[in-house]
Amino acid sequence: MAEQLSGVGGADVVIRVSGAGIRFRRNRRGRRSFKDLFAGRNRRSRPGEFWALRGVDVEVRAGEAIGVVGRNGQGKSTLLKLVAGVMLPDEGTVEVHGGVAPLIEITGGFVDDLTVRENLYLTAGLHGMSRAEIDARYDEIIDFAELRDFTGTPYKHLSSGMKVRLAFSVISRLEEPILLVDEVLAVGDKGFRDKCYARIDELLRGGRTLFFVSHNERDLKRFCTRGLYLDGGALVLDAPIGEVLAAYNRDTGGGTAVVD
Amino acid sequence: MRRALALSLVTTAPPPRPPRTPAQVYRQSLWLLTARDLRVRYATSFLGYVWSVLDPLVMAIIYWFVFTQIVDRTIGEEPYIVFLLAGLLPWMWFNGAVGDATRAFIKDAKLVRSTRIPRTVWVNRIVLSKGIEFVAAIPVIAIFAVVFGAELTLGVLWLPVAILLQAVLTVGLGLIIAPLVVFFRDLERAVKLILRFLFYASPIIYGLSDLPAGLDLWASFNPLAGIISLYRAAFFPDQLDARAVLIAAAMSLAILGLGALVFRRMVRAVLKEV
Repeated sequence: MAEQLSGVGGADVVIRVSGAGIRFRRNRRGRRSFKDLFAGRNRRSRPGEFWALRGVDVEVRAGEAIGVVGRNGQGKSTLLKLVAGVMLPDEGTVEVHGGVAPLIEITGGFVDDLTVRENLYLTAGLHGMSRAEIDARYDEIIDFAELRDFTGTPYKHLSSGMKVRLAFSVISRLEEPILLVDEVLAVGDKGFRDKCYARIDELLRGGRTLFFVSHNERDLKRFCTRGLYLDGGALVLDAPIGEVLAAYNRDTGGGTAVVD
Repeated sequence: MRRALALSLVTTAPPPRPPRTPAQVYRQSLWLLTARDLRVRYATSFLGYVWSVLDPLVMAIIYWFVFTQIVDRTIGEEPYIVFLLAGLLPWMWFNGAVGDATRAFIKDAKLVRSTRIPRTVWVNRIVLSKGIEFVAAIPVIAIFAVVFGAELTLGVLWLPVAILLQAVLTVGLGLIIAPLVVFFRDLERAVKLILRFLFYASPIIYGLSDLPAGLDLWASFNPLAGIISLYRAAFFPDQLDARAVLIAAAMSLAILGLGALVFRRMVRAVLKEV
């Protein structure tokens, strides 16, 4: 990992989050009036709403590996979704230069009634790959997912482990310069997880930028060089991962649970 | 210098990917989702294409039977079955697209949450896939026209205009309905009810000229009136109503503008909610 650190000093900024904030409704079934919907988006927080993130400033340079730390509900996944562009900030801006391969809700894009092969083309295509690019990587993706014998099987007949394998395999082959990972590695059997880790290592060596959300201290230390500590929707610490984990452990009283 | 150092350390740099223009991205995602919708429909049903034709066909036969065999009809033109189909097929497109637009985000919630394709694609792929089925059903009306001796006129040249206007109208309505339903689920059922009302309020089983004097002006403010009169001009030139067409064009554009506005204001909230 040290070699990456030495290289990133002069690299370009690929992610710039400035003053980003997003708010949610507290009660999902809350009454909403038409007036609300057409009110300006930069109004102050209305009753029944809270800021999941507010005033977050982060700059990420190409090749950095960043771990996001924080208790549940402090805005980690929301930050990841803003970077992925699947949510839009209510205030501030999120700029991302270059494509993003988001390992977020990865099995979500698949269609039950279509085959593995059709789903592969659909998902890779929606993430911006052309047909020719998918053709070129098709075998690699199928082999990595260990689904060689199932390419014609409807997606709904796969086991949940196979579904995750297919999803990880597709997204991790998108060849995008930025990789976002949200807790997905907790699923799947040990053998496949090791393969995923090896793949992420390989991508990092290839100069990819990593944005990693996890509760697993060992994983964070393994992949990340820099840490972001989110608490109460604000960025409280932006420092090397060791320092961030120490601060987080101090605040939560003791070590984090290591899931393995 | 440092950049060069960084490059020397990486073993496999990300291969350069050709930059894509926003238009390319839009086209690709629109086409992928449209093709997916059609493929799913045909993968899960044996008759596939036949269903999309059978539906309007059965309705046309029912109305034909009622209005020519039971009731002594004074509406529409001869051959009535062709007259009916020329209104029913576009109606099926409209009805299907607007009805499905209520579920544009809900049905694909997971995909909406995990990809960042341009959001209007979620609405437009519905209009496009239903539009493709509509175009695929046009041969049916041609067969009936031949069998029942309806004469094709130069009015058929209005067909592209009719399709364009209908696409504008349907996209506009979809852009309004799709995000609103995310917050007001009742709207889904309300839309179904309104569509049923609209079926009889639009000149489908009758023509605009069959309406009592005075009422036809008001009926023209339903953009479907002008649009269907354009479709019918292919076989029934007398059905073409220039005033209704102009009103339909103005209304469709206005609805598209309103839809774009509503959609832009709501898309943030929709992404949080789905």
